[in-house]
Amino acid sequence: MTAPARFTSRFPWHLLLTVGAVAVFVLTVGFLSVRGQSPAAPAIKVINLIPASLSGETNQDSEPFLAIQTANPQVMVASAFTPNPVSSTGNAPVYVSQDGGQTWVLNAITPVQRMTCDITHAMATGESHPRGDLHAGTLACASSITLDESESNDVASSATMDVQSTRGNVDQPFVRALGVSSGDRIYVGVNDFNQQNGHTATVDVSVDGGASYKSIPIEARKTMGQDGPSVRPAVASDGTVYVAFFGWRKFDGKTATSDVVVVRDDSAATGANPFQVLKDPSDKLPGALVVKNTSIPWSNAPTLGQERIGSTLSIAVDPNNSSAVYVGWADKGNTGDIYTLHVRSSADRGATWSKTDLPRTTISNATNIALTVANNGVVGLLYQQLTNGRWVTHLVQSHDAFATSQDLALATVPANTPTEQFLPYLGDYDYLLSVGNEFRGVFCANNTPDFANFPQGVTYQRAADFLTKTLNDGSGNPVQISIDPFYFTVPVIQ
Amino acid sequence: MKRGHAAPIGKGAKMKVSSMVVAIGFCVALLFAMEPRAASQGASDQVSLLKQSSIVFSGTVTQLGAASFAEVPKSAQTIVVRVDTVLRKPAAVSLKRGDNVTVEVKDPSAFHEGTRATFFTDGWIFGSGVAVKELGHQAIAAGEANVPAASESALGKAQEEAGKEELKQRIAAADFVVVARVTEIRKWNVPKSGQYRVTEHDPDWHDAVIQIESTLKGPKVKKNRLVVRYPQCNDVAWVHAPKFEKNQHGIFFLTKDEVSGKPTASLDGKSVMTYTCLSPGDWLPMSEEARVRAAVKSQS
Repeated sequence: MTAPARFTSRFPWHLLLTVGAVAVFVLTVGFLSVRGQSPAAPAIKVINLIPASLSGETNQDSEPFLAIQTANPQVMVASAFTPNPVSSTGNAPVYVSQDGGQTWVLNAITPVQRMTCDITHAMATGESHPRGDLHAGTLACASSITLDESESNDVASSATMDVQSTRGNVDQPFVRALGVSSGDRIYVGVNDFNQQNGHTATVDVSVDGGASYKSIPIEARKTMGQDGPSVRPAVASDGTVYVAFFGWRKFDGKTATSDVVVVRDDSAATGANPFQVLKDPSDKLPGALVVKNTSIPWSNAPTLGQERIGSTLSIAVDPNNSSAVYVGWADKGNTGDIYTLHVRSSADRGATWSKTDLPRTTISNATNIALTVANNGVVGLLYQQLTNGRWVTHLVQSHDAFATSQDLALATVPANTPTEQFLPYLGDYDYLLSVGNEFRGVFCANNTPDFANFPQGVTYQRAADFLTKTLNDGSGNPVQISIDPFYFTVPVIQ
Repeated sequence: MKRGHAAPIGKGAKMKVSSMVVAIGFCVALLFAMEPRAASQGASDQVSLLKQSSIVFSGTVTQLGAASFAEVPKSAQTIVVRVDTVLRKPAAVSLKRGDNVTVEVKDPSAFHEGTRATFFTDGWIFGSGVAVKELGHQAIAAGEANVPAASESALGKAQEEAGKEELKQRIAAADFVVVARVTEIRKWNVPKSGQYRVTEHDPDWHDAVIQIESTLKGPKVKKNRLVVRYPQCNDVAWVHAPKFEKNQHGIFFLTKDEVSGKPTASLDGKSVMTYTCLSPGDWLPMSEEARVRAAVKSQS
């Protein structure tokens, strides 16, 4: 990067030395600005994932996801709608960090050509590969959309991920995994249009590290012909597996009348009839109804700012108390809202749910909800809200079910720039995980290098000049603003 | 979308044409000026190597069995090369004279510290630096310039061959190649008996009725009209597929519809087969007509 040289030319040293302490301060801030590092408190980090060697890229790198290796949290894999940077026939890449997120590289190892159309992943470590056991679910952007369930034993190598299962006619794979001594257990939520009777909400379960998968339909009620796209598993270390999904009862093209349903299995979905134990008292059918017949707007066009809406859903379980579980979703909630988030909880393994939203979790005009629970029981809530023409990315933490909470704005960026290249603009999801005493996550945002846009500070790997608020290609040539993925780590409140 | 394309899709693919032209010219010139060993390869192989390479540069080997940045797994096959001249790279890639590049080479014994060569490579890992995989290399003799004079004729040949090859593949894959005008656009609603699914990747199929003015490939069609089914949706899965408007005039490379699930439409009161053109480049403007006609003629 050429940033230090620029600094020298902008701030002549002999002048700085004559103005004393004030100038020293300016120098410090200026230096950090040009380097793309903020003077913010070191514990919170926000890092632009685009590597320095791809400083010229201008893709809409939306819809981020994150996997953290359980055994060694220094190793992480992130993803977005990032194309292969050099070839239209090469493999779609993922971002890899081996130093806890300080630096990231792009490595083209997925089995999909050029760019995925959906990708999620998890890194359980039941198979004990130091930089591996990455399990991914990908959709290929081909004329027929195909799901691959695949594995890498070394995400730093150039080896293409091994495809273990593949089939068509499914949507939005969402991968979670649990490493156990016998190998990795993998749970892939999918909306499987191959299922009978419109019971499309499905979990693909592998209890042998992906060597074999079994597709398990989890919808028990009549649907309008299918369920909603989002099917979200959450796995506790004791083998409890929850799955949340939208049970679509009616659909008129613009609005889905939907239940928010949660199923549970207490033995890692290894039994003969998994996900049957949680029955709703209203009809005695499997699947607790967190909310019934809510109206969810569906728009596959720019609707919330430049973003589409229709299926944002998250579920999280306390890693040390699998009875405590949280669900968040968006619907047509408040009058005047386009899209409203809600969070509810259960303390009895999903048998009963809070009748109303948890305090301060009815959130107007927001999307991309992601929930997780830290080791100490603190709940993390990530979402992106359209506020006064800006996309504001929030991380909220609470140790008392949101009676009190800490709300951090990680980014606040213009919502009208850049112009969308395709949908989703920011993503149909973002992601949040906990590891040790940290919340770690990913979101996408306008990449203008402006510290005012990142209240907690930010570090860019790519060439950026925070003084002029411009990007360049590493050789000084200007690069236009685009959507980039950002990684963050925030300490869990005590 | 199944077909390969000469240039990557999207903003990241917007190579600077002028620098690319110079780079290709130089590369071809280099290939034509090869040492006897390399020069024994056929000219078509040399152009093929050039076409395969996404990153081409000349440089000097500075380290063997090493890597230029931490995230690259170093091995006996990885060497570090200091860049003397960048000859070809995608615009997204930051690479310039003086940068150190990790090259995973095919045969480490071909290199020693101080070796100067032109490297024909494909991208591998992108981090604080660039790591590439060697597709081929050409040693530069002592005293030889890093950048020999470019050959205009060789440049033209390489570009022409690349374009011809892509077009040839596109024509071969098509059931019809026609010059036509769009006369009608209509939304296609999946029949209730069909497999209509609500998904964010819904293509939002539309039918474009085209009036054929000239058939370059394919059988004669009744009343010279066909129905082209295309995705109107701007979802990530379909964003690069050609979209159509009424009166749009151009060259259509059409294949039988194997995507929409029900490849028929009503035309003049009769059921007809539908066709698709889903890859960027499956529709070309009229300015390309002469080139396409010549390519079709050469294949027939």
